[in-house]
Amino acid sequence: MKPSPAQDAVLRRAKRVDRFMALLITLGGLGIISAVMGMLLFIGKEAFPLFRGARSEARPAFMAPGALLLDESGKAAAALSPSRGLELLRLPDGAAVRKVEGGPALPWTAVQPFGPRGGALVADGEGRLHGLQVKWSKPAGDPDPAHWDLEAAWSAPLPNPGPGARVLDFRMAEGGGLEGGLVLKAVAATPEGLVRAEAGPGQAEPTWQPFPSPGTITAAAWSQDGGQLSLGTAEGRLRTLDAATGGLLAETTFPEPVTALGWVLGGNALLVGGQRGSLAAYQLLRTGEQPVLQELHRFQPLDGPVRGFRHSLRDKRFLTWGDRDLAVDHLTTERRLLHAWAEGTVHGALSPRGDLLTATDAVGRTRAWSLDAPHPEVSLGALTGKVHYEGYDKPAYVWQSSGGTDDFEPKFSLVPLVFGTLKGTLYAMLFALPLAILGALYTSQFATPRLRNAIKPTVEIMAALPSVVLGFLAGLVMAPLFEKLAMEVLVFPAALLALAALAFPVWTRLPQRFRSLWGSGREVLWAGPLLGAAALLSLGAAPAFERAFLGGDYCHWLLSAQGVTFDQRNSLVVGFAMGFAVIPIIFTLSEDALSSVPKSLTSASLACGASPWQTAWRVVLPTASPGIFSAVMVGLGRAIGETMIVLMATGNTPVLDWSPFNGMRTLSANIAVEIPEAPHHGTLYRVLFLAAFLLFLLTFLLNTAAELVRQRLRRKYESF
Amino acid sequence: MGPTRSPLRRIAEFWRRGSAFVWLSAAALALSLLMITTLVGFIAVKGLGFFWPRALVQATTPEGPVLGEIAAFEPALGEEPAKVQFRVANRDLYGQDFRWFKAADLSARQEPAGAVLVERLENGAFIGFVEVLKQDGQRVAEGDAALAAARARLPEALDLQRGIRAIEKREVGSLNRDMEKLRLQRKALENRPGADTTALDAREAALHKAYDALQARLDGLRGRASALQLTLRTVDGQTKELPLSAVVRLVEPNRLGPLAKAGTYFSRLWEFVSGDPRESNTEGGIFPAIFGTVMMVLIMSVMVVPLGVVTALFLREYAKDGWLVRSVRVAVNNLAGVPSIVFGVFGLGFFVYTLGGAIDRAFYADRLPTPTYGTGGILWASLTLALLTVPVVVVATEEALGAVPRSQREASLALGATKWQTLWKVVLPGATPGILTGLILAMARGAGEVAPLMLTGVVKLAPAMPLDGEFPFFHLDRKFMHLGFHIYDVGFQSPNSEAAKPMVYMTALLLLGVVVLLNLVALRLRRRLRERLGGSAF
Repeated sequence: MKPSPAQDAVLRRAKRVDRFMALLITLGGLGIISAVMGMLLFIGKEAFPLFRGARSEARPAFMAPGALLLDESGKAAAALSPSRGLELLRLPDGAAVRKVEGGPALPWTAVQPFGPRGGALVADGEGRLHGLQVKWSKPAGDPDPAHWDLEAAWSAPLPNPGPGARVLDFRMAEGGGLEGGLVLKAVAATPEGLVRAEAGPGQAEPTWQPFPSPGTITAAAWSQDGGQLSLGTAEGRLRTLDAATGGLLAETTFPEPVTALGWVLGGNALLVGGQRGSLAAYQLLRTGEQPVLQELHRFQPLDGPVRGFRHSLRDKRFLTWGDRDLAVDHLTTERRLLHAWAEGTVHGALSPRGDLLTATDAVGRTRAWSLDAPHPEVSLGALTGKVHYEGYDKPAYVWQSSGGTDDFEPKFSLVPLVFGTLKGTLYAMLFALPLAILGALYTSQFATPRLRNAIKPTVEIMAALPSVVLGFLAGLVMAPLFEKLAMEVLVFPAALLALAALAFPVWTRLPQRFRSLWGSGREVLWAGPLLGAAALLSLGAAPAFERAFLGGDYCHWLLSAQGVTFDQRNSLVVGFAMGFAVIPIIFTLSEDALSSVPKSLTSASLACGASPWQTAWRVVLPTASPGIFSAVMVGLGRAIGETMIVLMATGNTPVLDWSPFNGMRTLSANIAVEIPEAPHHGTLYRVLFLAAFLLFLLTFLLNTAAELVRQRLRRKYESF
Repeated sequence: MGPTRSPLRRIAEFWRRGSAFVWLSAAALALSLLMITTLVGFIAVKGLGFFWPRALVQATTPEGPVLGEIAAFEPALGEEPAKVQFRVANRDLYGQDFRWFKAADLSARQEPAGAVLVERLENGAFIGFVEVLKQDGQRVAEGDAALAAARARLPEALDLQRGIRAIEKREVGSLNRDMEKLRLQRKALENRPGADTTALDAREAALHKAYDALQARLDGLRGRASALQLTLRTVDGQTKELPLSAVVRLVEPNRLGPLAKAGTYFSRLWEFVSGDPRESNTEGGIFPAIFGTVMMVLIMSVMVVPLGVVTALFLREYAKDGWLVRSVRVAVNNLAGVPSIVFGVFGLGFFVYTLGGAIDRAFYADRLPTPTYGTGGILWASLTLALLTVPVVVVATEEALGAVPRSQREASLALGATKWQTLWKVVLPGATPGILTGLILAMARGAGEVAPLMLTGVVKLAPAMPLDGEFPFFHLDRKFMHLGFHIYDVGFQSPNSEAAKPMVYMTALLLLGVVVLLNLVALRLRRRLRERLGGSAF
């Protein structure tokens, strides 16, 4: 029968719809799946730029008359030269925009270049030294450097230090008191030895005072507060003096003659450069009785004597230049961000953000580089290895992403977080595994069917408990309770065993009929009262136990005998609360595996005379062990990624300590705590994405392993 | 079991047969079950008991007289003597809500009939006695008469207070929004040189005038509200003046019978469920949090069902079964095991910053740098949770699709229906209960998750709800409040977490109730489904 045209149209339409829906669902399904898989890619993509190397680019060279101070925008610079004084240059072409008047009459005999904060020193025609402090003055919102200006403040002069003298370092500070003004301190090497002088408002006529220190002093650096003076000698000695008294604070040797000293942002790390190009950072460590100068980091050497340092005002990177080349390194990671050849550099300059640098030679030819290194404080080594941070006496694993000050050294070691994750998981599993697996074994093998039908949904409901509720209970109820009743809780298993040992002989003497009616399959109903009795017993026994063995107060005993401090929110509490979250998962999956063991196996075992327990332990459990393994994997995945419980039930301190009586900080809780404060695409943001990537990968692998095992098991059982 | 056996042999035999271990495993199970029932029971008792008016106990202590509810009792433990915790309230006078006393120090205990608990808008409750009621400085009533008079005039004062708050919220809020719109228009004009701003100036002046008028009205209302003043006295003789309009409720628990107590109980319960939070969330109600949670779960459901069902249909019905599909299936299932915080991180990076940032640049450029969609909001939170719960729906739907009997499909196909017609008319209707189960499980999971929300748009106190009377009614960019986050925030970030604890218990109970209820429904549905389809192998 041939369909009528109307029927034909309906059929055609149906076919069209069918094809369209097939296409739609296929596209939609594929799209959703790839989107979901794209999650991993996206998270990885956000973390990846951490490991991208620094990029640098040479910019056109220009002529500049002398030492430069680069502006934050990279569009202008202040130039200071003996012949032309102070000028404002436009970058990148170096054209002079305006001359800044004031200061001693030109020409000057010498200049000491700008420090990172715009302080410089000028020697006038008579060799007197004038301190200069430069500040940018920009009309608000005006991006054109032609409209910008410089504010120059001059200090009272210091007298001429004499023929043959060389100024090693100077320091400028806003003077206190009513007069204000600038206080200038300088230290110079003369043929007669080291001298220093200080000029400031309200002070007497400054003079150069001898400041004796042994050896040929070749470099000096004032500390940030001016309280100490560090010196380097041609003999390879490095020492730090008390600037007020001249007393020696600490001294150490450097493998080569010291040619340059400098600071990294914050003034904690002293940079030292040597005659043969060696580069290192030292710190004055005051943890012991005697302060010591300790090597913090060693960097790749330069090719020739090191001449100078400049640091950025944003992070711990710094510029070093020598006779033949220059480099930008990062203090924490020792990463070399840039290396370039520049013959005969006299003055180097680094912009406040550290993204632009210049090198000027004796005739004023200035070469410039831009540097793009958004995350220099992170390297694989810093994330996974020990790093020697400022203020620490030895390399350590530390997570501390932010501090109170701008010159804080961020510490991004993932090790304490991974450790915390493992620790929390371990304690949770210690608590959850025995309970969940034994419970599943009992439910699947011994419980009566009615009991079983009541138990399984209860446990499934338990799986749905929101973790924020568990965390709240753990942090605000269990933790204080546990602090009070820690001994009772620890004595409880012993009390339970003792009671069980007492109860058993009684039970076995009860009539057989009663036992088979109320015992087999219903043991769990009796276990409840037994647990209650054990709880009461431990309540009574624990104080006596504590008095007898621990001197009456376990916290005190822990601290004095074991050196362990007791935190209220500790790992045991976390383990307990996380156990709550993990038990139902392991229980349900194990129970499934155990009850799908073929009946033929158990029947055979029982028929051969094995007791029910023997059958369960020797036949059912080994057969179902892959399934239980997969259950444990899934539970492990849950414990590793659990956030709210850990966040609420621990103090979130990133410590490296297995002790059950203190807390931890896990990868997941760390993300929750820190990511709301992390600026978009900043280093912290990306490091946290890396942590999320790790978590994703770890749990995904665990779950996949579990799933594969489960599938294999299912196929195996199909053959029975 | 001959009597000749030595006891040692018997013990060895006993261990070998292992009935002790059966008992051990029973104990493990009992412990697990006991723990969960204790936990749920504990929360229920602590939460539900909070609203019951408790007796105000007066006692004499070495530190002077004390009056308050007995909040906790600690029995003697070892060398520690028994202790009693009083909720003395009067935070503004004492600086703390709770005080501990040694039980032995308390003497002359009594429950004074006139003791009253005044729930206030600020500074928590007041516990003491009512002395005088004044109107415009004139004494109206004293002692018990003052209490009765205050009670009689309380509804009027509450109405006044409510009126003031409504004006503050609605009319002042709408003026502020107009002002903001004006500011944006002005900003847009500034970029165009030579634009005429006189119209804007006139509108701004009009708005300012309207604002002043409103302010005058508010001042009048506030003056009326503060006309009635209540003088209260604490048990240790300090007095406190309080406008009646700052009182929420007057309770004299020592005089109330059980029925009246029940009345107070339900009135407090209703306030909790339907009211706005006060005192940085430690008092008042949690309605915005309930609303936010429900709204978020609903938006999530709307997104997760099509996503999950289409994926499941593709995997089950359209994709050719090969290693690729199998591994995709494993991967989708395993997403359920990926920590929720990872989804939160993805939501923040992708939805909020990437997608939201793009939307802002395209449609809300005039408001930048203040982000509209480029910051956390209910839409992004719901989308993140939809991703998180998609595996739940996929697994349930696949199971349901597989459980539709083959015979039904074949019958449909044999009658000439196309594949899609068969799916739409036969398979999907049969699978609906299964899909519903998946959806309910997803909702339960979504309602209980907090960690991803913390990154994608939940706040402790939302200034406005995501659904209100202002155009376009749905505000998917707004931040919202959430029951789970409320628990975290009040319990752990609040300066007065001890006083707020009962609130947290109640919130936890509510959240727990919702999640458990959803799960129970899903479980029942699934069991019915399996029974109907004769227990498939899942």
